[in-house]
Formats: sequence, structure tokens, C-alpha cells
Amino acid sequence: MLYIYMLGYDVDFGHMEAVSLISAPKYPEKQVGYIVTSCLLNENHDFLRLAINAVRNDIIGRNETFQCLALTLVGNIGGRDFAESLALDVQKLLISSSCRPLVRKKAALCLLRLFRKNPDVVNVDGWSDRMAQLLDERDLGVLTSSMSLLVALVSNDHDSYWSCLPKCVKILERLARNQDVPQEYTYYGIPSPWLQVKTMRALQYFPTIEDPNTRRSLFEVLQRILMGTDVVKNVNKNNASHAVLFEALALVMHLDAEKEMMSQCVALLGKFIAVREPNIRYLGLENMSRMLMVTDVLDIIKRHQAQIITSLKDPDISIRRRALDLLYGMCDVSNAKDIVEELLQYLSTADFAMREELALKAAILAEKFAPDLSWYVDVILQLIDKAGDFVSDDIWFRVVQFVTNNEDLQPYAAVKAREYLDKPAIHETVVKVSAYILGEYSHLLARRPGCSPKEIFSIIHEKLPTVSTSTIAILLSTYAKILMHTQPPDLELQNQIWAIFSKYEGCIDVEIQQRAVEYFALSRKGAALSDILAEMPKFPERQSALIKKAEDTEADAAEQSAIKLRAQQQTSNALVVTDQRPANGTPPVTQLSLVKMPSMSNVDHNPAEQGVSQANGTLSVVDPQPSRPSDDNIGDLLVPLAIEGPPGSATLSGHSPVFGFGGAPNAEDALAIAPVEEQINTVQPIGNIAERFHALCLKDSGVLYEDPYIQIGIKAEWRVHQGRLVLFLGNKNTAPLVSVQALILPPSHLKMELSLVPETIPPRAQVQCPLEVVNLRPSRDVAVLDFSYKFGTNVVNVKLRLPAILNKFFQPITVSAEEFFPQWRSLSGPPLKLQEVVRGVRSMSLVEMANLFNSFRLMVCPGLDPNTNNLIASTTFYSESTRAMLCLVRIETDPADRTQLRMTVASGDPTLTFELKEFIKEQLISIPTASRAPSPVSLQAQPAEPPQPLPTSSPAALSDPGAMLAGLL
Amino acid sequence: MIRAVMVINTTGKPRFSKFYDFQPVEKQQEIMRRIYAVLCSRPESVCNFIEAESISGPDTRFVYKHYATLYFVFLFDSSENELTMLDLIQVFAETLEKCFKNVCELDLVFNYSKMHTILDEIIFGGQVLETNSSEVMKAVEEISKLETASSALSLVHKSVSGWRSR
Repeated sequence: MLYIYMLGYDVDFGHMEAVSLISAPKYPEKQVGYIVTSCLLNENHDFLRLAINAVRNDIIGRNETFQCLALTLVGNIGGRDFAESLALDVQKLLISSSCRPLVRKKAALCLLRLFRKNPDVVNVDGWSDRMAQLLDERDLGVLTSSMSLLVALVSNDHDSYWSCLPKCVKILERLARNQDVPQEYTYYGIPSPWLQVKTMRALQYFPTIEDPNTRRSLFEVLQRILMGTDVVKNVNKNNASHAVLFEALALVMHLDAEKEMMSQCVALLGKFIAVREPNIRYLGLENMSRMLMVTDVLDIIKRHQAQIITSLKDPDISIRRRALDLLYGMCDVSNAKDIVEELLQYLSTADFAMREELALKAAILAEKFAPDLSWYVDVILQLIDKAGDFVSDDIWFRVVQFVTNNEDLQPYAAVKAREYLDKPAIHETVVKVSAYILGEYSHLLARRPGCSPKEIFSIIHEKLPTVSTSTIAILLSTYAKILMHTQPPDLELQNQIWAIFSKYEGCIDVEIQQRAVEYFALSRKGAALSDILAEMPKFPERQSALIKKAEDTEADAAEQSAIKLRAQQQTSNALVVTDQRPANGTPPVTQLSLVKMPSMSNVDHNPAEQGVSQANGTLSVVDPQPSRPSDDNIGDLLVPLAIEGPPGSATLSGHSPVFGFGGAPNAEDALAIAPVEEQINTVQPIGNIAERFHALCLKDSGVLYEDPYIQIGIKAEWRVHQGRLVLFLGNKNTAPLVSVQALILPPSHLKMELSLVPETIPPRAQVQCPLEVVNLRPSRDVAVLDFSYKFGTNVVNVKLRLPAILNKFFQPITVSAEEFFPQWRSLSGPPLKLQEVVRGVRSMSLVEMANLFNSFRLMVCPGLDPNTNNLIASTTFYSESTRAMLCLVRIETDPADRTQLRMTVASGDPTLTFELKEFIKEQLISIPTASRAPSPVSLQAQPAEPPQPLPTSSPAALSDPGAMLAGLL
Repeated sequence: MIRAVMVINTTGKPRFSKFYDFQPVEKQQEIMRRIYAVLCSRPESVCNFIEAESISGPDTRFVYKHYATLYFVFLFDSSENELTMLDLIQVFAETLEKCFKNVCELDLVFNYSKMHTILDEIIFGGQVLETNSSEVMKAVEEISKLETASSALSLVHKSVSGWRSR
């Protein structure tokens, strides 16, 4: 029956018979019963319950062989039921002195198994003394088993087992130095290697050894093991001695021994990776990778680089993999060039199973340690050329991003791409990269021989028949761009390209068809083309997704930590890589429609897009290519910005509030702060952070944040362009809060100084931290308080927006009609006076709106406008750059449709006008009153919430001549 | 711990298997098939360790040793030392050798329960129990003595004797 089972047939008969055999009195019957049961039934099987009683009788019985059988069964199955009913009996057996070693060692392991499976059921408290006793055992069999048990116990909780530590060292001494072992336990002349290995394993679970005596004697033993091992003829002896040796090495690493011993170890490993025995070579390489985690030995390891590279060519794939891992781990700036070149060379000969990993690793190394960027481009292009199919999209996306972000690199990359296209047979991925780069930057080469637009076009076009649809789409964009860059226009080329576009207008692939149609239409429009196809904007800095990917693929724990270590040491100098691209259904038209293309009726507004136009405040031209990774990046980047617009839901969505880079001349600065990571907090805040923030926007004191442990209150005073905030950090608990840290991330327009925050907040105490604010320039950006503290084991980190916003620097002012009209007229037209039709406004009466304005310190001046449906408000804004600046606002509402209004904002400073207009718009569209919970919906869904979502963004209004005219009142 | 012990012959037929953490039958077969696929593609004189994460989940590797027509495979995780596992295979093989006197594939097929008994004396619930092959032999002999003694005395149920003969 068992045999049938092993051959893979499902055996579902005879279980009952097997279980009943267990209780049979005769040995053979019992044995068969036990064996069948232990093989066929798993721990959750119902029949096992039936067997428990019989098993128990055997265990507490007198017959030792029966005991053994029963223990074996329990050990092999080890279910919860067994653990509950039998653990005590097994423990008794283990420590009873009357049993034979045979039974006791089984009992030890049985207990271990039960403990592993159900640590909650088996009670091991107070076992440390007994374990210590067990370790005094003379019988090596029992000792080995006990050691296994100890390993499990110690790995669970090393504190209670300190007393066992010296014992372990003693055992090691006895084995390795005195060789005090019965003859039959020596295995090829090595005294019980298993026990030695297990003992050293157990020692590795203790953090350090403090007692100097123990430590010294341990090192003595280790030293002896390290020195005494040599490669010998007999394979088995070799294995055994090296098993001990490698374990000793691991222990040395763990103990973080003196440098001398370390370098000795590395030297040994260096010897191993050169020996003929493949097993030892394998382990040598693996241990060397582990060694990398220990500091200071990198230099010594580097000496073996040549040997490791040789291992890369080993016939054995296991060894090659190890060598690759090791090379990857040991790479740093000094040797990156050699290693990456070696990897590239190897790539063309490597077998398929390894190529993808190899390509990925080479790409990461090239990126992390590139001495100069042109080298990086070289490497990646070579890599793509050689590995072809094994290069994931991420790698080429990344190189494109790299080129886009580094202007110096662009001509070089274009030349390189051109060279690759000259080769007779190239991989499709190379076509993609080259086409993309040439499309963007080929005009930089136009003066070189063989690089005129026409020639580039023809060389790219040669590849067209051979590539797949996704590449055709890229090629079409490239053509459009070449066309755009050809100045003066070349009619012949234009006709050629148009012919291609019209050919693909009927293509079966929607993506290609759409591109063809659009480019065709666009290219007829002439000048508009160049705006739309302008160069890609730069990508923000972010952690390389390649590295993330590599971390995912590495499952080897040691290796993983090595990578992390690396990642910490070297901050990636590189830029973004796309995350997985979401299905990109947004047609390019959407993006175009925002930008000077009023003729194209538009479908749906991409919220991210809104964000960019809004935040940049200038006409931002976005390349209309939905399938390219880069667009997603912009999207990615802008997602947080888009939330910034309507701040109602910002904090809830998981992103910390992020500064829009509106108005700030140095958008780079803002970008650097922008990608604030998402926080996962285990401590839930009390109340809604966003609501609290909005309440504080309207008043000057209140609670900013509260959770079960802490309450942060705020009190503010504002005087012209300066402000003084006081943060009240109150500990609500009877235990102190430790590691308190508060960090202000100020936007570029605010100068903020936070006084020292104490690291510990005593129980039930409140600490005050004054914060000085100076407003430099008008901007809507929000300062963020990055606040963290530790309570018990909980680390809480919150990012809170500080209510130091635009309206806090307002001084309400009443203006009379005589003052108002001359001012209003003198500020004529953009950029000093801006007008916009805002739709999707929260429905509120005029009085409510006036109150809202007043609460934002925009003083409503009644009676100035003859139309009662209109509102005029005025205020003075203070900042260092603008000094006192009068701001005038006029709102014209439509009594028939409360959801839309026209707003005109005027001030003496263009930035201020724009910022103020956007600020008011935000307040009107989102619902800033605390009564209504901000929508915690996803960003995509958000624009759907107001009846008609954010439809007209500012640039559209700006660029719309009609709107501009209307702005002149 | 040791996850599984397998003996597979060179044509890919499993001759013996024991899994220490429960796996459904299909999964066991799958693992054995895939291990065999890896093994038979490996030439002689390469190392005996293979990472098996793609085959049997994370943090597993296996060590194999090739004797005549049989592969002995131990599947285990990172808490064991690779070389000791290799040694353990050697001990297992030596014990079988002592037990059957010049062991061959057929011995394993026809003495199935004895294989189990031996293995139970060496590995117990995924942990190394005894590494001394003569000690193992002693235990095994004792058991078989008991077996013959009691079977001579009693009338064994028909179906039971049927199993035993396998």
C-alpha cells in the first residue's frame, strides 16, 4: 500500500485498519500500523484522534521498542492534538534516567518537533536547567539530539539559555581538542562532525559571548579547526572536515572576531574557491558572499576577484550562480568597471537560464557605480544588444530616463544609438531604445555627417518591417519628432512620413492607428507640433525599481541583506524607473486638449494632468505618448500634486502632503522633497488629520494631531510677513515617550526655525516648541512637520501639514469705492490680473461665501459692485519679497447655477495673483469646512465627486484669448 | 530541518520517499519529477548542492549523491549545513549497505518497511537522530529480532502479512 502511495496514487482505503493496528499487542502488527499511519495521514486527519490513546499507552508503557515506535509516529506527524495530550509524557521520558539512550534521544527530538509545530502548546518555561543537565550527557547520540532541541529553543528565546553557553563551548573543546569520543562516533577520523556542527549552530544563536574565558577558549577551538583542516584525498573525510570548517567560519563571522582572524578566514575561503572539489568551491563562494556583510574584509576579498571571475565560467550552474551573486555583492566604485565588463563579456556565452538575472544585475551595477554617465549608456546599450530577449523593459526605460535627465548625455546617446542602428542585425529592444533616443535628440546631431534627419529617418525606417506592433508605435512617434525637428521643413521627407502615417491609419492595432491619425493631423498644423512634441521634462529622483526588483528576486537572506547594506551605502545616483505600468487607456488626445488645442474636443480630464498645468502655472507641454513609460512617470509624480489641488482628501489617501511646485522658480527643489514615502502607521490617529488641518487654516489655535499616546496642539500669532507658532506636545500616558523627533520640511517660500525638541517627553507632561516662520514669497505650498516618536515597541511617524498657509499672511483691509476702482483698473490684464471661470463649486449662498472669505481674512467689501450677485473682497498680503501688497478679488456668481462662478483676482505681483487665484479656487471647490468628511476615495475617482470636476484649469483660461479679453473688465 | 528524503533511480522512478512536512500526493510527485529533471541534466564531477527554491518553495535546497543506479536526495532548509547533509547521505547508504550486504535497487523495492525502519533511526521528524551507522544497525536488528520472534508466535492477519511482504 505504501508503495502504491509513493508511486503517486491516492490511497484512500485502509486508513482505519492501519490505525486499529496501532493498538494491536504484537510488535509486527503495531509496527506496520505505525509506519502506515505516519506516512499516509497528515496531522489534521480525523483518524489520528482515534490513535492518540493507543499511542499514549505505548509511550507511558514499559516496553521500550513500543515507546520508540510511538515516539517516531508522534515526531513524524506532530499535530496539535498530539502536542496537547502527549508533550508532558515526552518530557518526562527525556529526563528520566531509567530509559535507554535510544529512547531518550528520540524523546528529545520528538519534543523538538512538537515544539516547532505548536510552540504555544508545549510549555518550555524553566527548561534551561534541564537543558544544561542534558548537555552534560556522555552519550553522543543523546547529546546530538539534545543539541538539536537546544538550537530550536535558543533560536526562539536566547535569553533564558545563557547557562547552556559555556557547556556548548565545553562540548566543542571535548570534541575538537581532546578528541574524547568513542571510536564508533568518529566519522572518517573526525569526531562526530554532526555534533560539532550543531553545537556551533547553537552558539550562533547567542548574540555575543561576554565571558572572556569562554570566549577565549572558544576562539582557541575555532583557531584549531581553521588551521587543522586540509584538503585530503578521501572524499568523505573531506566533506566531514569541511562541514565543520564552514560552520566554524560562520561562527567566526557571527562573533565578529578580530580582524586578524577574519583575514585568515578570507584567505582560507580564497584557497577553497580555487580547489578542484566542486562542493567546496561552491561553499567557498557562498560563504564569501556572506562574509561581505562583515565590514572591513571587502578589500581582502577583492584580491580574489580574478579567481571569482574564473568561477563564473565553471561548468556547474550552481557554482556560476554563486559566483555571480558574489561578484554582485562585492562590486563597488573601484571595481565596477571591471566587473561589469566581465559580466557583459560573459553574457554572450552564458546559458539561457542565467541571462535574465545576469542582465538585471549588470544593469544595476552599472547604474549604481557608474564612473561617468556615458559609460553607463554604453554598457546598457551593449547589454540590450547582447542579451536581447532577457532584458526586461525596466532596463531600457531606465536608460531613456537617464538620458532625458542629463542634457550632456543626450548628444552622446544619440550618436551611440545611431551606431547601433548601423549594425546589420539588431535586437528589437535596441530598435526601441535607439528610435526613442534619436526621435528626441537626433536634431542635436544634425551637423554630423550621416545624421541628417533624412538619413536617420531612412535608417530607422529600414527596421520597420521587422518589428512588432509595440515598436511600430514608438517608431511612429519618432517619425513625428524627426519631422518636427527638421528646420527648415524638408518637403520630400514630409511627404514620405505622411505617406507612412496614412498607411497606418488603417492599422488593425488601435494604438498604432491612433498615433498615425493624430500625428498626421498634428503635423499638418505646423507650429503646434513643436509645442506638443517638445522634449520630455525631467524625471524626479526615485529609488531604482531595478533594485527593488532585484531585492524581490533574491530570496537568499544573506544576499538580501548584502544588497540592502549596499543600497544604504550608496544612494543611487540615478533617476526614476517606472513601476509597473498601469493599463494606459488614456488617449493622447486628453493631454493635448489642455494645451492649445481647443479645436480637439476632449474626452476626460486626467487628474494628474490637471495637476501639472495647475501647479506649474505656465504652459507645460506634455509629450503625447501614452504608451511610453515616461508618461506614466509624470503621472506618478503628479499624483501627489493632484491631491494638493483640492486638499480635502490629501492626508487621507496615504500620501503625505506634498508641495506643489507652483510658482517656485526652482522646481527642482520642490521635486526633491516631493516623493515623500507612504507611511504605515500602526497607531491610529484620533480624529481626522485633514479636518483638523482645515480647521486650523481658519483659526489660530487648536489641535493638530492626536493619537492614543500624544496630542499635538498648535497656537499661532501672525504679524505681517512673520509668524510665531508654538507646538504643544502633550504626552497622554503614564510612560515617557522616547526618541521624539520633529523635523520641519519647509517649502521654498518659507523660512522656518524650530527650536529644540526634547528627545523624551515625560509622562503626562506637555512640552512647548516655538517655531518661527518668515514668509519670503507668495506660494500656496504647505510646510510639513515630520514627527516621530517611540512608545514601547511602536514607532509612530506622522507627516503633518502645518497651517502656515497663504491666508495667514493676509491683513484684512476695507477699501472704499474711490480707492478700489483706480486700483482695479490700473492692474490691467494678465499676469497681474487673472480671470477664470470656476465650475463645480460647492453650492452655497452668497452670505456663506462672504463668511468663508472673511474667515480666510479676505475682507468682503459690500456695496462696491452694483450687481448683488457679485462679491468684492480685498486684503493685504505680506511677504519679504512683495512687502505689503494689496490684493483685490471679484467673484461673479450666477444665481441660476450656483456651481459655477467667474473669479477675477488682481494684485501687484504676478505670482501672488496666480497663487491667490488658485488658493481661492481650492477653497471653493473642495469643501474645507470640518463638518464634511473629506472623501477618502482614490485619486482617480476624486474628480468625479463634484458635479463637474475641475473642468477648466488655469492654463486653458490663460491661453484662451476670449477669457483674457474678458479679464479686462 | 530536513524536509524530505527521496531515492530516485536513474530512469526517474521513485524508489523511496519520505516527506517530513506534509505535502499532498500530487505535490510530492511534482517535486520528485522536477528534481529528477534537474539531476539527470547534471554531469558528473559538479557539486552536489542545488538551490531548489523554484521547485519546493523558498529557503530550500537539496543535496544529492549518486550511487550506481540510484540518486539519494535530501531536501532541507538553511538551518542545516550542506556538507553534513552530504555526510548523512553517506551514513544512510552505508547503513543500507551493512543491512543488505551489497545493496541494490531491488533490495529497496522488496524491503520497503525495513527502509523506513532504518531511516526512522537516522532521521527523526526532520532532525538528525543518530549518525553512527553501527548504532543504527543495532537498533534495526533489535527490531527485526522482535519482529520475527512475535510473528513466529502469532497468526498474523492475512492482509497485514500481505503488506509486510512488500
